[in-house]
Amino acid sequence: MEFERKRELEEKKLRLARLKQQREERNRLNSQSTFISEPAYKTDPERDRKINEYARTLLEEKDKTVRSSRPGTLSSQEDLVSSDKDKIEKSKTVTVHTNNYTNNYTPPNVSVPPSPTFFPAPRFMPELSSGQGESVDIASKEISLREGGIQTDETSFGPLPLSEEQIKENILKEIETAKAKKAAEEAERLRIEAEKKIKKDLSKKDKEALINSTKFAEFIDNSTGLIENILSERFDILIDYSVVEDVESNEESGNHVKCINSFFDDRWSKNRSVTDVNFSNRNPELVVASYNKNSSAKYEPDGIVLVWNLRQPERPNHVLHSQSDVLTTTFSDFRPELIIGGTYSGHIMLWDTRAKSSPIHQTPFSAIGHTHPIYSMQIVGTQNDHNLITASTDGVICSWQLDMLSHPVERLELIHSEHSKTDEVSVTSVGFPHNETTAFWVGTEEGNIYQVNRRGRPGGKAGINQCDFYKGHWGPVTGLHFHPNNNDSDEFADLFLTSSVDWTVKLWRAKSFLMPSTSLQIITPLHSFEAADDYVYDVKWSPRHPAQFTSVDGTGKFSLWNMNMDVEVPIVSTEVGQGKALNKVQWDKEGRKTVIGSSDGRVYVYDIGELSVPKEDENTLLQKTISELTDVNINDNLDSLGGRFYYSK
Amino acid sequence: MSNTEVEDTIKRLSANKYVQAVLIVNKEGQTIKSTLDESLSKKYSDLITKLVEQTIHVIREMDDEENKTNDLSFLRVRTKKHEILVAPDTDYLLIVIQDPEKS
Repeated sequence: MEFERKRELEEKKLRLARLKQQREERNRLNSQSTFISEPAYKTDPERDRKINEYARTLLEEKDKTVRSSRPGTLSSQEDLVSSDKDKIEKSKTVTVHTNNYTNNYTPPNVSVPPSPTFFPAPRFMPELSSGQGESVDIASKEISLREGGIQTDETSFGPLPLSEEQIKENILKEIETAKAKKAAEEAERLRIEAEKKIKKDLSKKDKEALINSTKFAEFIDNSTGLIENILSERFDILIDYSVVEDVESNEESGNHVKCINSFFDDRWSKNRSVTDVNFSNRNPELVVASYNKNSSAKYEPDGIVLVWNLRQPERPNHVLHSQSDVLTTTFSDFRPELIIGGTYSGHIMLWDTRAKSSPIHQTPFSAIGHTHPIYSMQIVGTQNDHNLITASTDGVICSWQLDMLSHPVERLELIHSEHSKTDEVSVTSVGFPHNETTAFWVGTEEGNIYQVNRRGRPGGKAGINQCDFYKGHWGPVTGLHFHPNNNDSDEFADLFLTSSVDWTVKLWRAKSFLMPSTSLQIITPLHSFEAADDYVYDVKWSPRHPAQFTSVDGTGKFSLWNMNMDVEVPIVSTEVGQGKALNKVQWDKEGRKTVIGSSDGRVYVYDIGELSVPKEDENTLLQKTISELTDVNINDNLDSLGGRFYYSK
Repeated sequence: MSNTEVEDTIKRLSANKYVQAVLIVNKEGQTIKSTLDESLSKKYSDLITKLVEQTIHVIREMDDEENKTNDLSFLRVRTKKHEILVAPDTDYLLIVIQDPEKS
């Protein structure tokens, strides 16, 4: 390696020396050539020879310079040294070639590789022209050596580069073609759309096919539900409150209850009476109503339960069927999709609103459950531990788990041995004290009310408390309702109301079941509300106002009572609907609305409005009222009934 | 669901005294059922379908999270003269035109 390098260096030095020589010679010649470049040209052999020599040297020099100054011309040092002659030959042809171009042309400062001012080979003697020319002094440049040379011939160049104009033309052409393509696509698209538009109208057949598809059915159900919701709202969003309209006198509404809606379905409600109504506590706009059988339509199911949405009076949300008349129904508060119904045949039906119209469960027809009509039922307990208590007219009380309707958890047969005529107790209504699950009160067909223990306890076994007689009604007890204890105080928790066929509503104070009495006791009502003219079918306390309750009777009257205002007469009494008997009444969770079931199959919803709002002192007022009533009671009873008499305080 | 049931539903909707027209239209703008005459139905179908498309486009564009779950539930256009209610479904639209005056 070192060796080579040294050699190279030496050669370089040699070359440099030679170049120097040549430069000096050239300079000399230049000065000489000015002499030569006289208009007259004479052939002089001596001069010719000299010129040839000079030419040769120049060629050599030129070779090198040409080769080195041309980009891409690579030549190794050795090539230069060894095969100079070949190169010279080659370059001769080259030079001849170029010389043809550059014969009479000498550019002043040359940067173009093939330099014009060099002399051809000695064989060929062209004319020398005189002209001012500067020799290209490219040799002074440092020669950069590159290994691996590819010497390109001038002839081996590619096609000529396109001129600027041509390039522009090409670009324009491309743009045009692109545009044309786009236009074509656009036209195509428009055409397709136009076609589409043309085939806009569906044929009748197509329409029929579409309509009959199941997807369409689903769509109709969903969307009409939505639309009906909105249609029922009817709030004008652009209403201008500043415009004075005819304002109805609002004095009336202070003392009136207003009918918000009535629900009646042509198909399902016709010819049936409502047997029970209930609000949903979870979704306050849902109301469930049960109906008995449609005597004129034999093929329709005997028992129907409809779920109505307050916003959609036109059609029920759900229609549920049952084999036998449904006498009582309620939502399950703990599982909002379930609806429970008790029937005339003694079966308990369980429906799921997500499923179809038939019950998902029902109790089997056996002696284990009820075999008599179930007129009363209630769900008691908490989320995790709740039971359904049902009572039928044969005196059987059953407790069920909703998941397991195949057999009841408990079964209690109420037997009253002290009764004069029969042991059996036919229960027509059941009432549970608020927050109490172990004892409850039942109203019977003969008008007596008894207290029942669900389970045995020291001092009393399960079953009717044989000693306490709540005597007062002369006919079947149609409704029994305990005070809902809306103030978390226990003051009124032992009060309950009963309604009966004897045209009265009575208020009682329940004797505490924790201290059972040992001997026969007759308990009389605290007060009797005698304003009705017909059977009173139901009575219910207001969940909000401690002194308010409602009652419905057989003349179609719906009465609202407020004990703090008047104990004798209801504060509001309106006729509902057509004057048909009203079977059931129920408050909503808030105590603002009541739902009433009528015997003509209609369900009415009334808004109590301002009357339902309790004032600050209602509790104390009520206490006063109650104590007054009890005092009166004592006095009355002492006067009217002589003899052995016990009353409960 | 048969034709008569659909007819019943439409009749019930139209029975509401504030409802002026009921149309059922498919997603391409072709009228399937309508209580209006043909030319008016066609007009409504065309225009409202396009409007619904645009609305759905807006909703989907604005839903810029990873899982695009937002979609049109209901479209309600209140004009001076009436109110157009559109209940959309995957393939069809139910259009109801009602008189917005409070009773």
